Amino acid sequence: MPRVLLIVLFLLIEATALCSGAEPKVEVFPAAPYDRHIIYQALIFFWIGIIGLIVIIAMKLREIKRVQNMGIDEEEKNAPFLD
Amino acid sequence: MEALGALARMKTVPSHRFDAWYFAGGLTLFLFVFQFITGMALALYYVPHAEHAHKSIIDIVTKLNMGWLFRSLHHWGAQLAILILFVHVFSTLLLKAYRKPRELVWFTGFVMLAISIFFGLSGYFLLWDERAFAAVRVATGGAGNLPLAGWLIKGFLRGGLDVTGETLTRFYAFHVAILPLVTIAVTGLHVLLVQLHGMSVPLSQEEKQGRPEPFFPNLFYKDLIVWLVCLGVVVTLAVLFPPEIGRKADPLAPAPENIKPEWYFLFLFQTLKLFPGEMLGMNGETIAIVLISAAILFFLLIPFFDRRSAMGQRSPLFTWIGVFYLVYFTVMTVIGFLT
Repeated sequence: MPRVLLIVLFLLIEATALCSGAEPKVEVFPAAPYDRHIIYQALIFFWIGIIGLIVIIAMKLREIKRVQNMGIDEEEKNAPFLD
Repeated sequence: MEALGALARMKTVPSHRFDAWYFAGGLTLFLFVFQFITGMALALYYVPHAEHAHKSIIDIVTKLNMGWLFRSLHHWGAQLAILILFVHVFSTLLLKAYRKPRELVWFTGFVMLAISIFFGLSGYFLLWDERAFAAVRVATGGAGNLPLAGWLIKGFLRGGLDVTGETLTRFYAFHVAILPLVTIAVTGLHVLLVQLHGMSVPLSQEEKQGRPEPFFPNLFYKDLIVWLVCLGVVVTLAVLFPPEIGRKADPLAPAPENIKPEWYFLFLFQTLKLFPGEMLGMNGETIAIVLISAAILFFLLIPFFDRRSAMGQRSPLFTWIGVFYLVYFTVMTVIGFLT
């Protein structure tokens, strides 16, 4: 008896879904919790990498500006050659 | 290469209060390259056929390793590219960077904006879901309302009387072959002209500008920082908000309710809503399309109308016109988004 009830219930649900024209929504993002965890973790590491690169470039830029302000970044044209 | 290196070392960039707006141009270029790379990866698996297009995108997203990420990156890269391009265009307009002798720079920039919007529309349609289908039907139908050449443009875009599988083939050709080639040519010309004329300095800043900054390495490193932040933003948006995929398009089904176009078409959509069905015995939509086309044409020809700026004088009238365009675009987009 319970098995018959289950089958009837299943058929009812299927029929309702068919009548409403509902289609299963496409998963546009991995659904497994493990995959999600890995992706969010990778995103954090990605941002750490970006911030690290930005800090390095900003330090380099600061150094370049310091050298430019001192006026020693250009080669002197009349510098004697050492033979 | 040596000549290019020497050019990069010699090139300087003006330094003033508004020089941060210069980054918008470089950022747009970065996003275009980003779109080319992610688009090429997607094109390896996409099937441009009405029967298989929708399924192939579902396969890319659900079956391919990192497929969902590439699609999401391409989607968000496109949104940001168009947004930054709008910022670039409006900053150029308000800083009067279009003034003589840079009229052609403005013109090529405007063409790039038009191409980008068509890129967005054609790319959206490749999804072949019911929303994209309805959006393209409305957009091409709107183009058809243009007087004289409207029917020709509509027929050319659709590849027939209505939006069908033929339209998909056409839009695919536009999206992956024609538009990229035109983009490369126009962007090349735009960058070349910018190098030829140099960066424009706003009239108000001509007396106040500081010592010019070398492009390499100073501005190049600053550009790199901006690009890295932008890359981070695109990746974050792609991970947190991957775009949905709707139901497969059915050309015979009615358009879904409460459908809205992409955000960069919302101001046009809202403007069309302001007009009644019939005005002065004519089709209201036709009048709206003509007025919008006239406003866009005026926008394109602003460098030729703004004679005071061309002579190096201040022109507050055109500043107000620019502000009006910006406010109208923003307000209409927000209203379209909220309603």
